[in-house]
Amino acid sequence: MSTAIEQNRSRAGARADRDTHFEVEQFYYEEADLLDAGRYADWLDLLADDLDYWMPTRTNRLRRQQSLSVAARGEAAFYDESKDSLAWRVRRFDSGMAWAEDPPSRTRHLVTNVMVRHVDPAEHDGFTTDDLWVRSAFLVYRNRLEREENVFAGSRTDILRRGGDRGLQVARRTILLEQNILQAKNISTFF
Amino acid sequence: MTSTNEPQGAATTAPRGALRRPADLARNIDVSGLVDTEGGLLDRVVFTDQQLYRQELRRVFAPSWLFLAHTDQFHKPGDFFTTYMGEDPVIVTLDRDRRIRAYLNSCRHRGARVCRADSGTTRNFTCTYHGWSFNLDGALVSVPNQDGYPESFETGEWGLVEVPHVETYQGLVFGTWNPEPVSLRESLGDMAWYMDAMLDHDDEGTVVVGGVHKWVLEGNWKLAAEQFATDWYHVNMSHASALMALAPAGKKPKDEVVHRTGRQYSDANGNGAGFPVHPKNRFDAQTVHRWMDYDALRARLGEARVEGPLTNGHATVFPNFSYLPVNGSLRVWHPKGPDKMEVWAWTIVDKSMPPEVREAQRLYNLRTFGPSGIFEQDDGENWSECQAISHGFITNNVALNYQMGMGSERADGRHPGTTSELYSDAAGRAFYTRWRDLMNTPAWHEEQK
Repeated sequence: MSTAIEQNRSRAGARADRDTHFEVEQFYYEEADLLDAGRYADWLDLLADDLDYWMPTRTNRLRRQQSLSVAARGEAAFYDESKDSLAWRVRRFDSGMAWAEDPPSRTRHLVTNVMVRHVDPAEHDGFTTDDLWVRSAFLVYRNRLEREENVFAGSRTDILRRGGDRGLQVARRTILLEQNILQAKNISTFF
Repeated sequence: MTSTNEPQGAATTAPRGALRRPADLARNIDVSGLVDTEGGLLDRVVFTDQQLYRQELRRVFAPSWLFLAHTDQFHKPGDFFTTYMGEDPVIVTLDRDRRIRAYLNSCRHRGARVCRADSGTTRNFTCTYHGWSFNLDGALVSVPNQDGYPESFETGEWGLVEVPHVETYQGLVFGTWNPEPVSLRESLGDMAWYMDAMLDHDDEGTVVVGGVHKWVLEGNWKLAAEQFATDWYHVNMSHASALMALAPAGKKPKDEVVHRTGRQYSDANGNGAGFPVHPKNRFDAQTVHRWMDYDALRARLGEARVEGPLTNGHATVFPNFSYLPVNGSLRVWHPKGPDKMEVWAWTIVDKSMPPEVREAQRLYNLRTFGPSGIFEQDDGENWSECQAISHGFITNNVALNYQMGMGSERADGRHPGTTSELYSDAAGRAFYTRWRDLMNTPAWHEEQK
């Protein structure tokens, strides 16, 4: 018993093993595949019911005021969502009249630079060392209608909770897009 | 007797030596034949022509009151926000006397921007090229190696070019390069009555929810500006998916949503605002709806405003400032060439709103409007669609239709000024009439000397 506690303590914040890393990568590839296939309802199944999904805006700041360059919670964001509000957004696509995606865009979500650690419960209330803190990079290419092209690049910082059909669920996701003025007419996909 | 294009506002003090700009650089085109107000027709070339676009910057943007910022973005001296007036970069800042002032964001030496941050707090604006430094009054306070300049060099002559007139209305800051403008309040005219429906709910006024959404659109700036002035018509089709998403699960939008009645205001200054007058107007966050004291609002603003422009609608203050009252969304359509615009959008809330109501308003706005909003995604799609094909020779020659609600403009006895039906192009016709008149009128910087 005491050894299990010891083991948990030592895992907090530590890099996950190779099998876990593989599992996480496969989870992300499946997620990317669902998004690229426009299977948003299935994508919602990968998300925990208490999801916090946040994509703040970013601003140019003087170097000494860099700490303010990412909008704070409660400020301007591209996404600031719960699972319910994402479901509400997804409903729009089911209407058959979501013109921004009709005809649908072609997208490809690439996920890379994956770093997996065991959650440190001291830093993330309500999570255990079984859960995973993951940072990854994404590159999303969108090609729309005849020749419209967009590239969205950024990072995702996730907390994946153990559970669900696939063994992992996205419980927290912070998305940082490497853009100031969004270089696209809209964001009609998810990251 | 020269017709020149040199600024004569704050920059009149700027030495020009022997420089004389030839008038041929700014040849003006008579646009009378491009707008048919009586017939309700518009020539599509107004969206595509580079020469007309340059003329717009000179004659539509330079003389007009342009939206700069919200007063809530400035709390202490040195707080600044950088934006654009037309394509001119400007710094808006609070000086030591707590006055909001605006300067051309361009060093007087070689012309680089002296501030490249979006917002922040500072004492000086220092050019990173050679180090000329300007204080909050725009005065040139530091010139490295100044002894290299001749005796005649006076730093007093080389301060930042100041926007000569900055005025506020209900927390909204506007500026104009026009050295002798009609006042902001006068130029708003009856439009102010409609604006108050969003901005004057109580004595505390409005505040900004941190940050500005910014994104690019392939599309002429007028496509967005005219839509917000005149176009409720597009809502049912363009935003069908959003209306479905807002309706109860498995149901279509209610008939009263699809067949709204309402009014559309328009005026000779090119301003426009449309709003349904159905009492079940709101489809916004219920938390906000419940919080609002409609009896107090009726007492303050009157029944006609509460049942109309307070609860829903769209509006444009000519030329490129628009807002959505129910969302608290303010936006500027920055022109970036004939084919491109940049949208900058603020969210404002009543200062008196408690935190949970502010949060509900903020989330409602970001989920419906803004680049990821379920409404606005589809607007971007439409504007880029209109623009993308408009350079075709035949396409460009086919007139566009602005005939909806022709002849329906009247004083309705309930709303100030002239109104038309909710589904109408009246404010669109007024917008392009104003645009045509400004395009055909020499601006202050062209006057003979």
